[in-house]
Amino acid sequence: MVEILTSQVVSGLATGCVYALIALGFVLIFKATDVVNFAQGEFVMVSGFISYTLLIRVGLPYWVVLLLTIAVSGVMGVALERIVVRPIMDAPIFSIVIATIGASTVMRALAGIVFGYDVLPLPTIFSKDPVRLGVVTVTAMDLGVIGFSLVIMLALYLFFKLTKTGTAMRATAQSQTAARLMGVSVGRIFSLTWAISAAIGGVAGVLIAPIIYLDPNLGLIGVKAFAGAILGGFGSIPGAIVGGMLLGILENLSGYFFNAGIKQVSTYILLIAVLVVRPSGLFGAAPVRRV
Amino acid sequence: MRRVLGSIGALSALVALAVVIGAAPVRAEDGVTDKEVVIGAGLDLTGAVANWGVNIKSGMEAVFNRVNEAGGVHGRKIKLISYDHVYQPPKAVINAKRLVERDRVFVMMGHLGTPTTKAIKDYLEEKKVPDIFPATAASIWTTSGKWHVGDLATYADQTWMIVDHLVKERKIRKIASFYQDDEYGLDGHLAGKARLKQYDLTYVAEVDYKRADIDFSSQAAKLKESGAEAVILQAVYREPPRLAEQCHAIGYYPLFIGPSPIVVDKTIELGGKHVDGMMGVEVYPLPTEPGPFLDQYRADMKKYFPNLALDTTNLYGYQKAALFVEALQRAGRDLTRESLLKSIESIKDWDPGWGLKYSYGGDNRRVMSRVGRLVVVKDGKWTKVSEWIELAEGGRK
Repeated sequence: MVEILTSQVVSGLATGCVYALIALGFVLIFKATDVVNFAQGEFVMVSGFISYTLLIRVGLPYWVVLLLTIAVSGVMGVALERIVVRPIMDAPIFSIVIATIGASTVMRALAGIVFGYDVLPLPTIFSKDPVRLGVVTVTAMDLGVIGFSLVIMLALYLFFKLTKTGTAMRATAQSQTAARLMGVSVGRIFSLTWAISAAIGGVAGVLIAPIIYLDPNLGLIGVKAFAGAILGGFGSIPGAIVGGMLLGILENLSGYFFNAGIKQVSTYILLIAVLVVRPSGLFGAAPVRRV
Repeated sequence: MRRVLGSIGALSALVALAVVIGAAPVRAEDGVTDKEVVIGAGLDLTGAVANWGVNIKSGMEAVFNRVNEAGGVHGRKIKLISYDHVYQPPKAVINAKRLVERDRVFVMMGHLGTPTTKAIKDYLEEKKVPDIFPATAASIWTTSGKWHVGDLATYADQTWMIVDHLVKERKIRKIASFYQDDEYGLDGHLAGKARLKQYDLTYVAEVDYKRADIDFSSQAAKLKESGAEAVILQAVYREPPRLAEQCHAIGYYPLFIGPSPIVVDKTIELGGKHVDGMMGVEVYPLPTEPGPFLDQYRADMKKYFPNLALDTTNLYGYQKAALFVEALQRAGRDLTRESLLKSIESIKDWDPGWGLKYSYGGDNRRVMSRVGRLVVVKDGKWTKVSEWIELAEGGRK
């Protein structure tokens, strides 16, 4: 019982880490630009297809594919920001949200046209065979996903804390006007934010596609990650990480204790429960009106 | 007074009109002209079972293209209009209305999915549009009256066969069910339960999942805890490999076995070594077997869909279309919905050229074939392990 529960938690944590990465993408863009990018899940899906093409069709080695996928995803993020979002930056927030939803639909359809709607298996370097860790049986895959996600999160943390660009990004998130007065190129920071968010989505895609298979609807996982971000307190980076992880674990446990129906809605039950008690989410600051 | 006269005038005009309409000759059936017969299908082309949808459509079109190039059936070319329902019942309903009311199709043919076809069942009956050989082998189509006719052995029949194999030949008594929580999964799930009861057994675990679910770790944990030696998969091609992987991940290696929807090359492509030894029920020959009908299938697929691999999925659509063409031939030049249904019911011992015969099963058994055999994944291929047997029992009892 304890053994099975522990492996449930570990595999839930692995999925949760991927949710957390996608949730991070949502939060970074929101913090920097006040835009909620509903095409975040599509970054995950498209990067999955990019790495599938490079791995299977072109036949490049795994690590090269990983780096290339991250780079291409980053470019895709910048492109989306420049083509879709920046021209309507002054429009009401609803217009921008709809524009990103539109972009996600277009990306999904394009992926379907180019790659077809079939499910594809994306290879991975992590083995799916069981590994005994003390009393717990886990897979190298789960551990790899968890480890890899933590490395990315740590790298991001260091980037924001230690680099000049990272500091400029945090400054822009706090006040665009002040940042601009201090000589920060806000436009460049916006582009960079989108690039980073899309690149994290790219990593998430490479990690999750081997687990749940690759198809144009993979991006719908973004909906769960979004719920994770809200659970953690939308706008909070630690919140996005913890929220995503919690969701992954909760899903597994609710499926284990109840049935598939409860598992399906458990995300939203938890979300509502948390928001009733703490409207700003687990780590969210109390709402402050931006002037 | 004038108003009364006016009313009488209007009334008699109406009566006259009604008489004219009533006396008018019976108008031609929807979808049938001198040169064409238009049929409709709702398929999943972009959703969770798109692999089935895209291939069924291609398999059907391969037959229709060949027949049309040879001049059609009784001078009529067959035109298939299909829409994507994404394996979602509400979309299936919208598509069915579009097909029946706007495109005015003659029949619904090869409509994919149990929940999606169930969603349009009442509508088709109300509109008196025959539901021919839906791409779902649920037992409901075989017992739902004149507007529905299935083609192959039902999931219930197939599960019956699975349980018999497990209990009688393998002497396995700890059997669990992993099923899709809808009309599809429940058909085989309940039939299996009924059959187990006859052996004084019950499932040691009943574990469900939702359409388009992608993670089965909690299901794997429950199955492991139940100690089941065999797990019956009332699933499609996406879930079995994922479930197998997740069972293996916790060190649990039961025998996996399921009905025909899992017997697809995709299952093997997705699962790799994890699906080695997985068993399934096949209700028509494999695409690689010999025989004139399969030779023609291979030639047609190569000609019309050169980029598509030969697979059980497109062969499934192909055999449906071949059977449909045979029924059109028999119905003759005077084609109506009634005459088509009559001609389907007249089919007896018809062999398209692969050694298996189609026969209409009867009013309480509206299905054309009831054979099945077991296959297993061996060296990355579905391989037959038993000969064809007639599935005489089955159904929900």
